[in-house]
Amino acid sequence: MEKFLTVNSDKCTGCRLCELVCSVMHEGVSNPAKSRIQVVKWEDEGRYIPMICQQCEDAPCQSVCPVGAISRDKEFGFLKVDYDVCIGCRLCVSICPFGAMNYNKTTRKVFKCDLCGGDPQCVRFCEANAIEFVTADVVSSLKKREGATRQSAASKQSLVIWEHV
Amino acid sequence: MAKENEKFSVSESLRKTRTFGKVRCHNPSCMGRMEPAAGSQQITCPTCGMAYRLFWVTPELPRIRGPVWEVNRKLAENIRAQKLEASKDGSK
Amino acid sequence: MALDRKIAYIDLSTGKTEIKPIPLEVRKKFIGGRGLDAYLLYNNAPEGCDPLSPENPLIVSGGFLTATCASATARTHFMAKSPLTGLLGSANMGGFFAPELAWAGFHHLVITGKAEKPIYLWIHNGQIEIRDAAKLWGRTTTDTQWAIRDELGDQEVKSAVIGQAGENLVRYANVMTGIKNAGGRTGMGCVMGSKNLKAIATRGTMDIKIAHPLEALEFNKKFIEQITTAKVNKTQGTLGTPFIWGATNSWGGIRTRNFQFNQMENADEIEPEAIDDIATKTIGPHHMTGCFGCQVHCRAQYKIPSGPYAGKYGEGPEYTSLGAFGGEPDCKSAETVLTGNHLVNQYGVDNLEIGSIISWAMELYELGIITNKETDGLELRFGNDEALLEMVHRICTRKGWLGDVLAEGGIPAAQKIGKNSFDYLIQVKGMSNLHSDERGTPALALNVATASRGSDHLRSRPAIDLYHLPESVLRKIYGSPVPYDGPLSSDHMEYIGKAWEVFWQENCYMAVDCLGICKYHTVFLGATLPNFEDWPKAIYYNTGLEFTPKEIWDVAERCNNIERLFNLREGLTRNDLVKGDTLNHRYFDEPCRRGAPDIIGAKIDRDKFKIMVDEFYKHHGWDNDGVPTAETLKRLGLDKEPTHLL
Repeated sequence: MEKFLTVNSDKCTGCRLCELVCSVMHEGVSNPAKSRIQVVKWEDEGRYIPMICQQCEDAPCQSVCPVGAISRDKEFGFLKVDYDVCIGCRLCVSICPFGAMNYNKTTRKVFKCDLCGGDPQCVRFCEANAIEFVTADVVSSLKKREGATRQSAASKQSLVIWEHV
Repeated sequence: MAKENEKFSVSESLRKTRTFGKVRCHNPSCMGRMEPAAGSQQITCPTCGMAYRLFWVTPELPRIRGPVWEVNRKLAENIRAQKLEASKDGSK
Repeated sequence: MALDRKIAYIDLSTGKTEIKPIPLEVRKKFIGGRGLDAYLLYNNAPEGCDPLSPENPLIVSGGFLTATCASATARTHFMAKSPLTGLLGSANMGGFFAPELAWAGFHHLVITGKAEKPIYLWIHNGQIEIRDAAKLWGRTTTDTQWAIRDELGDQEVKSAVIGQAGENLVRYANVMTGIKNAGGRTGMGCVMGSKNLKAIATRGTMDIKIAHPLEALEFNKKFIEQITTAKVNKTQGTLGTPFIWGATNSWGGIRTRNFQFNQMENADEIEPEAIDDIATKTIGPHHMTGCFGCQVHCRAQYKIPSGPYAGKYGEGPEYTSLGAFGGEPDCKSAETVLTGNHLVNQYGVDNLEIGSIISWAMELYELGIITNKETDGLELRFGNDEALLEMVHRICTRKGWLGDVLAEGGIPAAQKIGKNSFDYLIQVKGMSNLHSDERGTPALALNVATASRGSDHLRSRPAIDLYHLPESVLRKIYGSPVPYDGPLSSDHMEYIGKAWEVFWQENCYMAVDCLGICKYHTVFLGATLPNFEDWPKAIYYNTGLEFTPKEIWDVAERCNNIERLFNLREGLTRNDLVKGDTLNHRYFDEPCRRGAPDIIGAKIDRDKFKIMVDEFYKHHGWDNDGVPTAETLKRLGLDKEPTHLL
């Protein structure tokens, strides 16, 4: 069953542990510049939004690639780069609307989220559950419930929901 | 060192001593353990009589929010009077 | 890897910088962070130097594990000779600055000299630049940070900055990063101000190679689980540090009205839960935030609900803001606490110190020791919220006679105010105490009296002493990594065995400060949190270096002794009320008057206290004056200091 990463930025505490574990997992180094996930912050108002690859259905990175190096993984459904074919033109980096295609200045290669082969470390380490790995059939029903909970709470004039610890 | 040994560290071995669902009386020399009923808002220490308002961090994790001021002040005043009396007697 | 992070010597007078590697020998001896900073201070600060002179080195560092795959290792440490105490200056903050500095290639900066005009340092990927800060001077801590980002065109830049308090040389000005992370104590912001150094900005994209990445990931997962499942950290992650103030106030362990009372009655409006309600109403249910890589997320986000600063975004308040703007001045308003918290963070001043100093002035005013003449007509009484906040403005801008005098710190202020004002100043080594009352807890009183940076709770406080843990549990914790078979007592009102607890905690906190770990991740508030036996694995998987628990203990002991040597060199003597290891007379003479029945009447016994200090010195290998013996220095390899190893 295909699964997606889904972000609930309200829950993000902005700690950036996801960036750390992502770079350690994939590159064996600590370096957020080499992480597939990055938390964009507006510190002056305390808003944090983790940015990830959305594994788009009609993916601009895949469409723009002049040599067809980007394809979809059959097992997990994520988009992957075939480095034997990639010519390093970085068009995919330019066109991605989420900034989710990255460029490694050491290896001089593009890189992107590969869902850690089915066990995304960003999800595993996020105790706030700001990022979750859910199956395609329930992703929207979960979002509906979250939205409905907010509406319900607002209508009760009380926002106290102690679901996080 | 290369392989993690199987022995628990002190912190790991003490983990079983954690007591969820209970609070300890804030009276420092009482420290009696109390197990409030789920969701209850107040509790009285069966040992020393101090009364507390409760807050639930999670549905399983209660904490003492603060004293029931009137009750605990009264207890304190009595003790203070006793101690004052005792010190007047010179028995300390 | 972490081992290849460098040290930079920066002379602001000449503009010269020198970058050096940190030899393995030095790592083995001092590890990094606060411990290595202490070594650097002892070696680089000229004996007896004026803290505000160019010669006083400001040392900035990240911990050894900072920015590696080890949980909550984001601490930044500042060290210099303190302009507040004239002894060891040391401040530690969370946030995102130290990891960024590490990715930029550095673990330690030694900044000396004085710039001719305001400047800031720009440190990025191994490069160090000195840049003009004319446009930043006079701006608040947050404005400065955002302006630096705009100027450098990179919103990911992290800066450690001073606000107006640091510029105005308020002796307890702090260094800030983010909205509220503060290297708060001992006036490190004042040292920056004296050097015309407005900010240190950093940005790094350099790798830190992890020695054993997959093992480090797995160990980190286990480590985090041990930490976040503890009750204390679950509570911390919901209510933040105010929960400690609330819990302590509940039984009478906080200070109010400048230590006249030990409990603030009917404090419901500033209880942690009440503050939390405001955060929920103004931000939403998910209003907790954290430092780099930390899953405890103990910091609340809020907007000030009402008053002249209504709608302003802030973070915190911490325990100290509740004490500074609630308990001590006896103000029972959440608006005042949140506004005060906002002001100190914007000005860049130590909330703990300013709250204590103003409360001291309030008592002096009520006693008639200072009058309307000194306050320029301000009714500086307890419970006067407006006067409290007005004094924050006056001190940070040095406005009026009293504002200027109080900005000099407690002891110089007491000298200027005269009469018997000093008797009411609750300080040790010239620094105000946390807003807690230790009269019913001798172990905590010993900690406050002997802490190396002056009255302080984060140097050696055995907070778990209050939990009445079974002696068997205490033995497990305090009997490792070096055996201890002396007395230990579960009773917090006891004096016996407490010296060992304080000694153990002092080494424990030094170790986490060397590694860069937050104290909520060790035996501070929770007995089941990681300590000496857990750290070797984190060190090994991340850096490849092998340490035994005992070796880490030895490093901590060595570093604590270096701090002691510095303090002794700069004038510490055991019984000196200004520069010693002793307490204000109120601890010994005035019994607690409020709180739980068993706390009432509690005070510290002078004779027993003296014995406790003797024991504490003995555990250290110090003589009865608190001076390390030649044998101790030899055992720790400190007999030839200063050795200038790097």
